[in-house]
Amino acid sequence: MSLKLEIVTPSGKVYDEEIDSVVMPTTSGEVGIMPGHIPLLTEIQPGDIAVTKSGTVDHLAVSKGFAQCIGDKVSILAENAINDDDIDMAEVEAAKERAQDALKNAKEMSEEEINQLETTIQYANIQQLLKKKK
Amino acid sequence: MPSTKEIRNRIKSVKNTRQITKAMELVAASKMKKAQQNASAGQPYAALLAEVLANVSGRIDGIEHPFFEEREVKKRGILVVTTDRGLCGPLNSNLFREVLKVKDEAKFVTIGRKGVQFVSRNKLDLLADFSVPDEVPYLQVKQIVEFMIEKYEAGEIDTIEILYPRFVNTLIQEASFGKLLPISNLDEMINGLRGKDAEPYQESLDERKIKFEPDPETILASLLPLFVNREAHQAILSARASEHSARMVAMKTAKDNASSLLDALTLQFNKARQAAITQEILEIAAATSSNG
Repeated sequence: MSLKLEIVTPSGKVYDEEIDSVVMPTTSGEVGIMPGHIPLLTEIQPGDIAVTKSGTVDHLAVSKGFAQCIGDKVSILAENAINDDDIDMAEVEAAKERAQDALKNAKEMSEEEINQLETTIQYANIQQLLKKKK
Repeated sequence: MPSTKEIRNRIKSVKNTRQITKAMELVAASKMKKAQQNASAGQPYAALLAEVLANVSGRIDGIEHPFFEEREVKKRGILVVTTDRGLCGPLNSNLFREVLKVKDEAKFVTIGRKGVQFVSRNKLDLLADFSVPDEVPYLQVKQIVEFMIEKYEAGEIDTIEILYPRFVNTLIQEASFGKLLPISNLDEMINGLRGKDAEPYQESLDERKIKFEPDPETILASLLPLFVNREAHQAILSARASEHSARMVAMKTAKDNASSLLDALTLQFNKARQAAITQEILEIAAATSSNG
């Protein structure tokens, strides 16, 4: 029995494959899902999703979102997600630096703008961590 | 009659214009294709969002959330999506006509340089102006929407509406109002997300009750902003597709006009040249006959 995992972002479906199991970070701790899991709807936190597929573990970085597990299908709804092979370190670093620079001038900014930048940095950090793991 | 030199100069400049408008038409055409692709890329996201929303809402009765609260509308909040650059036909002026029709008190948020110019020139109440690049990154739209939601929650504005040129087809773009907040009917909204041609929603294959972590109310509360973001994102993407197709059509018309002008000028030039030659021959003939 296998599990289907799809990760959907506003810019399209980024992942859609048959997998063995998946571990994802949720607001109430890490949750591992294997085939036959009870139906679950949960909020996920920015972090690293570990997908086990025929013995090998794949890592993906996701931002805030939701995960729904119904039947043998796990759907993740996120604002951003990237496969670790696609992570471009230079670009991530640049994005992070831009966000950090902007944060330094934070005085004139509104709360959301700051939150926005912090999310960007978080996401960049996760991508970097993922890449280093390899 | 203008001299051949003058006509030649005009021909040259019209040719240049034609070349430029032709290039702009091609650029707009390729950008339009891209924009249309972007607009349809969001479909799976909308479908999944609808599914999650449907699952959550089925578990809650009597939703209480500020987004559903119908309060007395004292100030409307309107997000006007315009373009940064001109040369796109009546696209922006159609929007501005709608803006002027708004008689209630309203505060405006604009996207695009044309919009901010118009709103400030007409001394309307401008809350903020944002600029969004061509590919419409989701995160930037989110930022704009969050800004407006904050104003909404603070009671500065009582609705969030979006005015944008809706993409109907390459030739038709409609200035249309979309209401983002308050949400009047959750089921309607879920159906809207799912799209017209989607297959009817099937009850989950799994009969077991879904477990929610944390509780359904909390999840719904964090899902709703996503819905508003996604609606705004889609509207702006549609506005971009409209912009490029309007520009493409405008440039095509300009190019066609240049071509017909060029034809007329070429004819005029040939006539002028022929007239000059005839004149010269006549003069020579007259001179020889008087000498001989």
